[in-house]
Amino acid sequence: MGSLDAYAPIIERIEALARARGLSFEPVYFRVTDSDEMAEVASMGLPNRFIHWYWGGAYKELLAQQNREVFSILELVLNTRPSHAFLRASNTYLQNVLVIAHVFGHVDFFANNHWYRKSNKNMLNEAELHARLIRHYAARFGRERVEQLLDALLTVATTVNAFERNPEARRRRLIYFLEERAPLEDFERHLLQVVREEAEYFDVIQRTHISNEGWATFVEAELLRELLDPREWVTICVQLSSRPAPYTIGYSLYKAIKDARGFAATLEVRAYYEDVMLIQEALDEAMIRRLDIFVYDPRERKKSYEVQRVRDMLIEQKQFKGQPHVEVELGGDHRDLTLVHRDEERKLEPKRIALFLKAVHSLWRNPVRLRANGKVYTYDRRGFSST
Amino acid sequence: MGLRIHRGRIAQYQHDQLLRDYLKQHLHELIQQRELIVDGRVKTQITTLDLPTLRYGEETAVLAQGGGMAGAGQGATGARGGEEEVQALGGLLGGDHHGRELRVELEFDEFVRLAQEVLLEEIRLPPLRTAGRGGEVESDDLPELDDLDRIGLRPDLNLEETMLHALLRNVRERGVADYDVDVRQDGWYFVEDPTTYRNHRSLEVYVLDISGSMRGEYLALVRKTIFVLWYYLERRYPTNLRRYVVFQDVAAEKTRDEFFCVESSGGTHISSGFEKAMELLEGATEYDKFLFLFTDGETSSGDFDLAKRRYEEALQRFDLIAYGHVNPGSRGVGGFSEYVQERVRRVPNATFANLVDVATIRAAMTDFLTFLARERSGGIAGRLRSHH
Repeated sequence: MGSLDAYAPIIERIEALARARGLSFEPVYFRVTDSDEMAEVASMGLPNRFIHWYWGGAYKELLAQQNREVFSILELVLNTRPSHAFLRASNTYLQNVLVIAHVFGHVDFFANNHWYRKSNKNMLNEAELHARLIRHYAARFGRERVEQLLDALLTVATTVNAFERNPEARRRRLIYFLEERAPLEDFERHLLQVVREEAEYFDVIQRTHISNEGWATFVEAELLRELLDPREWVTICVQLSSRPAPYTIGYSLYKAIKDARGFAATLEVRAYYEDVMLIQEALDEAMIRRLDIFVYDPRERKKSYEVQRVRDMLIEQKQFKGQPHVEVELGGDHRDLTLVHRDEERKLEPKRIALFLKAVHSLWRNPVRLRANGKVYTYDRRGFSST
Repeated sequence: MGLRIHRGRIAQYQHDQLLRDYLKQHLHELIQQRELIVDGRVKTQITTLDLPTLRYGEETAVLAQGGGMAGAGQGATGARGGEEEVQALGGLLGGDHHGRELRVELEFDEFVRLAQEVLLEEIRLPPLRTAGRGGEVESDDLPELDDLDRIGLRPDLNLEETMLHALLRNVRERGVADYDVDVRQDGWYFVEDPTTYRNHRSLEVYVLDISGSMRGEYLALVRKTIFVLWYYLERRYPTNLRRYVVFQDVAAEKTRDEFFCVESSGGTHISSGFEKAMELLEGATEYDKFLFLFTDGETSSGDFDLAKRRYEEALQRFDLIAYGHVNPGSRGVGGFSEYVQERVRRVPNATFANLVDVATIRAAMTDFLTFLARERSGGIAGRLRSHH
């Protein structure tokens, strides 16, 4: 189904159903597009974001997965005001009906979840401005220099935390520390802020990924149960159970809340919870078993379904995006920068440490140290070393 | 509809450029991988095309999900846990692709093209020439190969051969002696003048000694030589048939992918390599036939005489036998290799290359290109063909 006109009546109907269930949202602009554009937006995060080789690798991989029919992106929706949602032209009509209902779940989450209040709803325009600024700086200061700077900035950008309000805790996160203290030129600091702002925009999405996707999937099921005939509903039930992990985990959590406390309670949870809170409160042993989630030890080839262990690891994954918990050690001498890996029991991949420290050194410009793996790794003007 | 800027494709182009540079830098180590082709692709353990964020070592416990549940989410990587598929739930949990691990992996053909680019530059071999701005063709010290006898869209299928292969295939795969060739589709009947038409296909048989130490540097030299050979052969022949043989005590035909993944073992019976190569000539009468043999050592003492006989026979049946003595240690050449060296001085369709390093690939190519140039001018190969 290629034309948006074909979907206008069903969009109107689903929107009315959503509002009747107490959902509220900003206007949504739907757009029918092809798989290529879907992959482009998914890999870059935003349709007009600055161009970087890293998105190119993700884009290539997504296209390859789509071609091999391993994985396809069925829908995309942007957390902007108004919201923009993409329907894939090659989806079946029924698939796009699912997508439309799912989108209304997302836009309701964007409008009502507490943690989205401070998210930048103007990011579509800002990303465009950032892209222009980067092109301008590349012309003025040299493309290679700007590209190297962006590589380093994107490397440290994973340390953002859009939720963190405590100044000291924020400063322990590398990118904020560098923004405050690194001896950068004005344009370099400006680019750091650009990258940090975009990373924070995505950080909100990442930290609410389970609750947001779970909510959208839950809303989709709730709305479509009223709309579809039994045969179509069966098709959807199959689709619901074959979605990626964050969708099924989140969906199960909301479903459990609804079963225990009613639909109104789910509206409240979607308004105040982010992933960590949701996991802490709603993930129990029965659900862990049913979803078959576990901590896997590759050395022992053992699975652990211990509730606390699974919860802790899931929460840690949310807090640090699955990356090692590395913090800035505050209070040292002002010239050298010392980073500490807080989970000493787990070993870091040594090959990447030198590359990471080199990237940090390119921003800090003075000796950078990392305490990890029982060693102290250093990168200074003589290069990389460890003791 | 406004003009759409394909940012994804531009980003992909930038990624590919970096990938090419990266692969060029690491070609030497990549080419030595014992299993060069897996599922038609060259896979690497390299993840440095990723942003250099920190990661846990591989042996660290991870959050995972059983294969029976939600399947591969974005950013999931597979791991084997006992008999069951385990999907690690790491990496991407949000809208940005940060933290995804991008493995460097590419189609074998693409890998070969990159390798050829690097090698031609490294060995200082000429790319096939294009006409200069003034219409002149640039010249260099190697034989000309740019005005190949390509025949454009004209089909070059050979009916008899097609039918013979169809028969063999049907016997092998379906157990019936039947042709499944639609002669109306065969280009043979559409060649205006079959008597003057030259078939420009080649049969290339690659024979590799996998005994003893054929690994590391040895493998690298063989593969580099083959990739450079392919560069020239592909430009000379509109289509080519490549067959692959490996031998140690005995010889066996392999597929291309197997040929680039073989494990070295056993003793050396060069005669078996020649024998298998000659077997493959069955039904290949119309080809330019090339035999490229690579060995790193001497044939077993008991095989010396037989190897000589088989070599002489093969010389009668192939248009060219290129014998590569893989010798990264630059040791002296003796035994059978010495015999071949001696014969090369006397017979026109034999070449010998002492492959010590990439520079010696250049010498080997020069010999090979000289042979091709002579052959094209109606010399060697035409004469040889009249013998058999």
